[in-house]
Amino acid sequence: MLITSLVVSLNQLLPIAILLVLLQVFAKQSAHHICICLMVGVAMSFLYMYSALWASQWFDHKGLEYIQIAMCIAIFIAVLVFVIQQSVTAFNFAIITTIVMYLSHYVIYLNSFWKNSDAAESLFIGTFLGSGICLSFCVLLYFFMSGVKHRFSNYPILILIALNSASKLLVALDLASQIDLITNTNPIWDLRHWISEHSELGRVLRALIGYEATPDLTTVLTYIASTALFLIFCYVIPASISKERV
Amino acid sequence: MGKRIIKQCLCLLVLISFEINAKEYLIVLKDHLFYPSKITIPENQKVKLIIENQDDTPEEFDSFDLNREKVLYPHRKSVIYIGPLKKGRYAFFGEFSPNSATGVVIVNNKEAQHANN
Repeated sequence: MLITSLVVSLNQLLPIAILLVLLQVFAKQSAHHICICLMVGVAMSFLYMYSALWASQWFDHKGLEYIQIAMCIAIFIAVLVFVIQQSVTAFNFAIITTIVMYLSHYVIYLNSFWKNSDAAESLFIGTFLGSGICLSFCVLLYFFMSGVKHRFSNYPILILIALNSASKLLVALDLASQIDLITNTNPIWDLRHWISEHSELGRVLRALIGYEATPDLTTVLTYIASTALFLIFCYVIPASISKERV
Repeated sequence: MGKRIIKQCLCLLVLISFEINAKEYLIVLKDHLFYPSKITIPENQKVKLIIENQDDTPEEFDSFDLNREKVLYPHRKSVIYIGPLKKGRYAFFGEFSPNSATGVVIVNNKEAQHANN
């Protein structure tokens, strides 16, 4: 139970923390503002947890996938708007939606096993260790990315944010094939022997840039196209706005 | 420009469904174990897994090999489509009980069948 709590907490907290660090390095928000975002996100995760029980039965047991696909697309758009306009609303929306999407799974896990007195201690220690590892990783990532920004400006951060956002569309794609909205094709390569998604590095890469060891053609094309679109929009829209101002 | 992005995303949501004659396989989760824990399905065919969680606690169906992840709520049914897949073994597990809730999907070119432990 201890190891499971540790692994589940890391899996669910890492994507939230990574997005927060990347956006924070790109355009810093106040600590007070981030705290409010986190609290609202946690509260909404509980609301989502209770509503998910019913939503899971909608549309022939496919309701949750539809909601999660919408959330993935919403995160992609909100991050794009934040990067282009530095909009606080877009930042709030991206972070809160990401928290709801990932943390709700962990809230479901905690809520179910907490009542078992034998498991409570392991749950607490596992969560504490998982949060600690996640926090340590994100502090290192923050200072590393701040150093990169100082040396190379915002461009490497922007590329990483684009890859991270594109990974949300890959999640949406997996969910769409899970409920038969689209059809999977055979994997075009298999990197499981090099970097397994089970491994620590695989999990970090998955949370950071959406690494998949066995992607199919649709996945690869979506990943490349959405990353390219993200970067093109980031370049084109601010340029057109500055032209209009002139 | 924002409207254009929203339109593109809506198009993604309105993709046509191809739910035609997908074979159904029932998996039951009881006492944190999958029954059957081994499922044999035909090669290059899409199949529908109906997973019934009979436990009092939720579970998360997870598979890196199949790229699938879904919360299974207690005393509820869940549906997951997999395939078409090449021949091979594709492991799945319950993320909340990874030591007990494990299973494997075996893909071969024979007629589809269920195989218990």
